[in-house]
Order: sequence, then structure tokens, then C-alpha cells
Amino acid sequence: MINRRHMLSLLGLAAAVGITAGSTSVEAASDWPEKPVRILVSFPPGGSSDLVARLLAKELGEKLGQQFVVENKPGAAGTVAAMALKEAANDGYTFMLSNLTPFSVAPTRFPDTPYDPLTDFTHVSYIGTVHLGLFVRPGAGASDLESFIAMAKDDPDNIDYGTSGVGSWGHIVSVDFTDKTETQLVHIPYKGSGPMRLDFRADVVGAMFDAIPQNLPAVADKEAIPLAVSATERIATLPDTPTFRELGYDIVAENWLGISAPADIDPEISAKMDATMQDVMALPAVDAQFDTWGIIRSTKTTEEFTDYVASQFTDWKPLVMKASDK
Amino acid sequence: MDILANLALGFSTAATPMNLMYCFAGVFLGTFIGVLPGVGPLAAVAMLLPVSFYLPPETALVMLAGVYYGAEYGGSIASILLNIPGTPSASVTCLDGYPMAQQGRAGVALFVTAIASFFGAMFGVVVMVLLSPALAEFALLFGPAEYFSVMVLGLVAASVVSNHGALRGIMMVCLGILLGTVGVDVNSGETRFTGGIAELRDGVNLVVVAMGLFGISEVITSARGATRSYATAKISLKQFLPTGAEWLRSIAPAFRGASVGSFFGTLPGTGQTVASFVGYALEKRISRNRDNFGKGAIEGVVVPESANNAAAQTAFIPTLTLGIPGSATMALMLGALMIHGITPGPRLITERPELFWGLIVSFLFGNLFLLILNIPLIGLWVKLLQVPHFYLYPAVIVLICVGVYSIDNSVFDIWVTLGFGLLGYFMRLYKFEPAPLLIGFVLGPMMEEFFRRAMLLSRGDPLVFLERPGSAALLGVSVILLIWAMLPGRARKQKLA
Repeated sequence: MINRRHMLSLLGLAAAVGITAGSTSVEAASDWPEKPVRILVSFPPGGSSDLVARLLAKELGEKLGQQFVVENKPGAAGTVAAMALKEAANDGYTFMLSNLTPFSVAPTRFPDTPYDPLTDFTHVSYIGTVHLGLFVRPGAGASDLESFIAMAKDDPDNIDYGTSGVGSWGHIVSVDFTDKTETQLVHIPYKGSGPMRLDFRADVVGAMFDAIPQNLPAVADKEAIPLAVSATERIATLPDTPTFRELGYDIVAENWLGISAPADIDPEISAKMDATMQDVMALPAVDAQFDTWGIIRSTKTTEEFTDYVASQFTDWKPLVMKASDK
Repeated sequence: MDILANLALGFSTAATPMNLMYCFAGVFLGTFIGVLPGVGPLAAVAMLLPVSFYLPPETALVMLAGVYYGAEYGGSIASILLNIPGTPSASVTCLDGYPMAQQGRAGVALFVTAIASFFGAMFGVVVMVLLSPALAEFALLFGPAEYFSVMVLGLVAASVVSNHGALRGIMMVCLGILLGTVGVDVNSGETRFTGGIAELRDGVNLVVVAMGLFGISEVITSARGATRSYATAKISLKQFLPTGAEWLRSIAPAFRGASVGSFFGTLPGTGQTVASFVGYALEKRISRNRDNFGKGAIEGVVVPESANNAAAQTAFIPTLTLGIPGSATMALMLGALMIHGITPGPRLITERPELFWGLIVSFLFGNLFLLILNIPLIGLWVKLLQVPHFYLYPAVIVLICVGVYSIDNSVFDIWVTLGFGLLGYFMRLYKFEPAPLLIGFVLGPMMEEFFRRAMLLSRGDPLVFLERPGSAALLGVSVILLIWAMLPGRARKQKLA
């Protein structure tokens, strides 16, 4: 009780030793899982993605009758966790809550990233995506995207906007935005969304590019006006806000979430994991929880998810390079 | 009376048998986890977060809050007994708490810590009850310029805290700031001083620095033969009790510490650390007993403990009223609420008053439990010092390694901890203190971040720091504190000469 996580890792270690001792017995996929399964998370505990992993771990554990243990390995834009996944045994006992940053952005942004987002992994299950919005303060003088762009053109380098950091998806999208709208704005980088939203509420920065879910309460309180969203069609939680595309700017950004494993895991284990994931995500309680977190669900098969990861990597590549130059 | 109605609502939520039970379980587990070196409130809350999934939201929050301040208290125990602070704010408690333990007064130090923590927390709760909405607005008045100036004040306070002269303190603060620059630069996204090591891209972990400088170096020093003859054979309640004069001397410092703590606690991110350092530095200037600071002065334990516990309570104000977490631990608390479908924000107080006021009232119970739990345990903790070195120190090293590893599950961090242990050992040999280094390390990067943000927003005009009244006032206080620190020092030297 005092130290559950360490106890579990000890259990895991004991189990690993047991397996090496009897290594002649080939493990059948139908018996999987026979010991606790790790889910690596590239964020520190407490963020919304971490909570997704914890919720899934609980439900997967109940369905499969084994402990699923969330292991936080934050750091270096998620690449620490992805490296750990690449190096883990491909025996079906290590997965990762894969997401946009380490798989679609980091390999382009840091050329020395020691893994290939496609060949070094098995992308098992797609979970869903979160979109980005451009928000302004009510007092900032813009009520829609056109008036915002007009203000920016009238007075170049006068409007400040925040993002959750240099190289964050908000920053990458903002560079794409200034490029496509031919505007000049002043970028104020923050260490994450929390401090930025505090400054936004205090009118220190008048605009920000940020993920939508955490800003819905502020929108409801009329403390933030959403000008446009980065989805391909309008989203249910902000039905009155147009997409960038609707307004004539081809800006789409999805912060996707999925479950991935090391390369070449047993296809049977992968299939069982994916089938269980689909069952779990269909549970009304899980579905409702994802709704409150603003995660937009859609179904993709394992093959579709793998293609999606590949296309995301190529789609982001030019944007990331453009943002790195600025 | 609104306040009475709110408190009544709070009592009706918090005083149910189930909530009381989980509150007790929270502070109990929190204390024991917090005692482990390297395992602070963040790790303690993270470990027990899964339990809260199965509880109703009020109960979950009451329990996690109990774990949080229980672990804060537990961290002070390790600071006093072994000179190993669990958090940067507890490193101030080391300054006088550990000398007290070396003089055989560990029991007194722990007793005083329990009372001062309780007092500070109660003070913080009263401030919360009376001023919550106003303080939330106050936090919004703080822009980047004001934050920069708060950090300056914190760093000046830290240099003044040094027992071997302000110059050595300033040197250590600067070394801390330099170490803090390792990692990705917020403004350019470029990595600095990482030597190409991916693990350093996010900088050196704070717990790693603290455990190395304090914990490992303490073990090395002791292994090199520093004598420890302060373990008392018999422990009775009498030995925990401070003398009558000490009780009297502690009253005013407790109030000052708690006031400073309540003020700084509302500022997201920095509250507790700045509060303990500023409280200690202030007391060291105005106390009549100032010459004994750093040598086991009781005020040196009372002030940081009352300050950091008051701050621990008021830190909930921005978290709950604005829905914006001030620290990683607070982010975890918000996560616990979110998993129950509750979105913290300005409407929390009006929409879920039973939750907000129930939590505040649970702070009263929780801190009371903490007091009841810990006074009888003092004897047990002091007995820990009687464990022979050759059992105690290897165990401490193992616990430090486990604690450090558990932060990011990284073996690299353990090696860095050992490196800082060696640095800490040589610093001790040459009479440099680790506490100012630690606060430089914490505040330096934030100071840079806020400075550059303020400059970006003012389009490069440095006068912004003087034009904004809050910022100007804080800078003024820093200058006064620095001058004040220099003056009596010189006067004393002249007397000696």
C-alpha cells in the first residue's frame, strides 16, 4: 500500500525472472496477458492524456484480468518515452499512449531523434483526437477571424499571442496561420497551457492558440472568444465556431492519441489488444468521460491507424520545418 | 453571515464518517510516504491518485489533499533528522532543524515543526475562508513584470539566508541559476548546455539536485567520520517540549511566517519556496536571537514551517477558483476532479459549494489529525537516529535512489544525483551552503522566463519593471533587504575588530 508502483514493478521483475528461467516454454498469444502490462505515458502525471491512460488502464485491466500499469516517462518532447518503447521487449507487455508530438513532430524537429516513427513501432489502436482553436479576449476588439486578421494587417507586430511553447503544435499552427493570412503577430511562448491561460485571463496576452477542451469553461463564461477551430468540420462542443477551412485558410491540426507497441509484436497479441481497446472505448462510461475531456472519437482499424501515423508525419513535416526556421 | 453558512455547509460535507476516515488515511499515508527521501508530495499524490477513482469526488479530494500536506510534513521530518529536504521549501527547515538534531534536540525540533505547521495551516485556512475570491483576483494582477520582481526578492532573501556571509550566498545563488539554464530555452526552443544528452533536454530535475546536494553529501560527510553522539537513550515527552522562553520567542515569528506564507502561497508556481526563504530571511534580520540562526535557533524552524504550511493551504486558491494549477501537485489534484467530470473554474464555488467548502473544512480536520498523529510518533522518529550508521546510511542511499528513480523512471537521474552528492560534499568542505544554490536553481529559470516575457510584451523597454507599481514595490523591498543584510554584518565585524 505504501508504495504500490514499486511493488508492482517488483512483481513485474519477479515475473520476468520466472519467464527467463522457464524460457523453453513458448508463450501462446491466447494466454496473453499473464503478467502486468505497462503503458508508457510521455507526460507527467495529471494532464489530460495521462488521465486517458489511467482510465484505459483501469478498464483494460478489468476486461483482461491483469494489472495494466501506467508508467510516466516524460521528457524531451515525448521522445524519452518513445525511445523506451522502441527498446522494450516486443513481448506484448509494453505499450505506449502514442500521440502527436513524439511521432509526428519530434523526428522532424530534432534530426537526431534515434527512432523512426513508423518502422520502429507497431501502431495498434487509434483512440481519438483533440483540436486546436484560436481564442481572443473579449476586450481585444475582434469578434471573428476576419476582423482579427484586419486588425493584424492594420498594425503589424502589435498583436501578442501565446502558445504553450516553441515547437508546440500551437506554435507550429500559428506560424502556418501567419504565413497563410500574411499577417505579422508577436509570439509569446509559455511553458505549457496552464500559465498561458492565467496570463490570458489577466489580459497579459490578448490571443492564444490552444487545445480546445480546457478552454470550454472560459468560452462559456464569455472570458474567451473562439475565432476558428483546426478541424476539418465544425466540432460538437463549439458548434457556432467556423473551421479555418470554412473561412478559406487551409489549416488543419489534430492532436491524436493512440496505443502503440514496439516493432514486430505478435499479431495475435496486437489483435487481442485492439479488440479489447474497441470494447473498452465502447463502454458508455468511457465514452462519456472522453466526451467531457473533449476527445473526438472515431474508429480506425490497426491498418488505417498505421497509415494515419504515416500521413500525419508527412503532413506535419513541412509545417514543423517552417516553424523551426522562424 | 455568508461565511457561517458556508462553513456550516463545509462541516456537513467534511464531517461525515467516510470523509473523516479518508482524510485520516490521507494524512497518515502522506506522512509516511513523505518521510522517504526523494519522495515528495507530488509522488505521494501520484501514487494514491488511482485510489481516488473509486471514491466520490469530495472524498477523493479530501483524501488527496490530506496526502499532500501529510507529505509536506513528512518531508520536514527527514530535513530535521537527516538533513535531507523532500522539497525546496523544506531545505530552509534544514538550516536550523538539523543543527538542533545534532545538539540532541531532534525531539524539540519535530515538536515545534508539528505545532508551527499546524498553526501555519490554520492561519492559511482562515485567510482562505475570509479572502478566497479577493485573493483569486489578486493573483490575476500579477503579470510577468511582477513575477520577475517576486523572484528577485526570493533570490535576495536566499543569499541573505547563508550563514557564511552574503557573498558566499550570492555565489551559490548564481551557481544555482547557471545550473538552471540547462535544457530547452523557452523563448528560442534551442537546447542549452546539454552536451547532446537527450535526458538533459528538459533540464536537471529539482529532486535530483536536492537529494544529491543534501542527502548524498550528508552520507559522505558522516561516513568520513563526523561524530554523531546526539542520540538520546531515553525519550520522554519532557524532552520534546521547548523551554518556556522558547515558547514565548516563537509566537511572533509564527505569525510573521504564516502571514508571509499566506501571501506568497496564492502566487502560482513559486509560492511555498519563496515564502519559506523570504520568511526566514526577514526573521534573521529582525529577530533579537538572530546571531543563533543557523546554529539551531528555534525561530529558524518555526518561521519556514509556518510559512510553507500556510502557503500550502492558500495555494489551493488559484487552483480551485481559477481552475489553473499553480504546481504539478495541484495539476494532479485538478486531474482527480476532472476524472469525476468536475471542471474547476470560477464557477466551482457557486456550482459546487459543498465541494469547495467541504475541502476547506477538511483542512481543519486533516491538520488536527496530523498533529494528533505526529506528536506520539516523535519518539519513534528520534529513535531512528539511534540506528547505527552502517545500517542507517546504506538504507538512506537505497531510499534516495528508489525515490529519484521513481520520478521519471530514469536510471540517468540516479547517476546525476550521485554527481551532485560529490559536488555537495566539496561545497561543505569549503563552507558553501546548498540551500541558496537550490533556490537559485528553482527561481533562476523562472526569473529568466518572466523577464524575457515582460521584455517581449513591452517590446524591449526595461522601464516596465519600474512603471508597474507592484513590480516597483517588490524591487524596492529587495533593495532594502539587500542593504539591510550588508549593514549589520559590517557593524558586527567592526565590533570584533
